[in-house]
Amino acid sequence: MKHWTEGFDDDDADETLVRPYTITGGRTAPERDDLTLITLVTAISTASSETGHGLRRMQPEHRTILALCKRPLAVAEVASALNLPVSVTKILIGDLIEADQVRARPPLAFAQAGGFPGMTILEAVRDGLRNL
Amino acid sequence: MDYAISDHGDAAPLAVKILIAGGFGVGKTTLVGAVSEVAPLRTEEYLTHASVGVDDLEGVNGKSTTTVALDFGRITISSELVLYLFGTPGQERFWFMWNDLVNGAMGAVVLVDTRRLDVSFASIDFFESRGIPFVVGVNCFHGVRDRTQEEIRRALDLDPQVPLVLCDARDRTAGRDVLLALIDHLMAAQSRTAPHPVA
Ligand SMILES: Nc1nc2c(ncn2[C@@H]2O[C@H](COP(=O)(O)OP(=O)(O)O)[C@@H](O)[C@H]2O)c(=O)[nH]1
Ligand SMILES: [Mg+2]
Repeated sequence: MKHWTEGFDDDDADETLVRPYTITGGRTAPERDDLTLITLVTAISTASSETGHGLRRMQPEHRTILALCKRPLAVAEVASALNLPVSVTKILIGDLIEADQVRARPPLAFAQAGGFPGMTILEAVRDGLRNL
Repeated sequence: MDYAISDHGDAAPLAVKILIAGGFGVGKTTLVGAVSEVAPLRTEEYLTHASVGVDDLEGVNGKSTTTVALDFGRITISSELVLYLFGTPGQERFWFMWNDLVNGAMGAVVLVDTRRLDVSFASIDFFESRGIPFVVGVNCFHGVRDRTQEEIRRALDLDPQVPLVLCDARDRTAGRDVLLALIDHLMAAQSRTAPHPVA
């Protein structure tokens, strides 16, 4: 009998699917669709760090996210650190937003708006890159 | 009204993104790794989940479910601004994620390998059709420059105003210069048209 972690790195291993959705209590789609790959997530330091106020089932992964996000991290960075797919990570972060445990800052939607980033941002990025 | 990067009392910086696109093996991950302040990170997404909107475990447990992996890197510009670089493959099977990938993207670098220009056609088509600004980075594998810039432009059917930059994806300075070429391109586009700058 195979253990569920076996083949965890295989692209198409069925075993990889069971555990992530156990963490989310069987939910496979985020309730909120406003989280993006680079939405920055920050733990609210004043929030109760104990049982997770208002969070029905606090999983170890929820606690890990709170610890990781003491400094702002992008959704993609959180997913990478947890070694979980982005969609599963979004569900968990959504839980923490609902429970007022984390704050999320979305990116500016340049492309969708058919616009370009403003000069302030462009100059800041250019100067930052030059110092690289 | 010009834009202040810091958000009203929000502690989190603003995140922006540059897409590093192009076909398989053109050097996307290499470029991300060369300029990122951290080793390239990897994240996965379920292919079937997002592409068909599966919302129950039955579908997710289906044998056809696979994951796709994305590499990304990070450059902290300041306490108020973070730049992420996402390697974005051109294959159609990734396109379900492109709405999310494009969200917050300032623009893109499309990497090409002169020996296999065709593998980057899909990426160029994508950005052209969506009006997303991009520059083309010619990754000079083994220092080979077997085609002139004019030949490459013609083969890619590139709009004359799209910058084409030679680079070595393994080199930090060369990689940075490709990103700077994109920023210059964005600045030029903005001062030319000044449409409706977002922030
Ligand atoms: N010689 C040489 N090899 C490169 C260069 N850029 C990438 N490579 C190699 O080409 C292969 C594919 O690069 P990778 O970054 O993984 O391509 P990706 O599929 O676009 O992410 C790797 O083995 C790299 O080490 C380059 O400029 N010169
Ligand atoms: Mg790669």
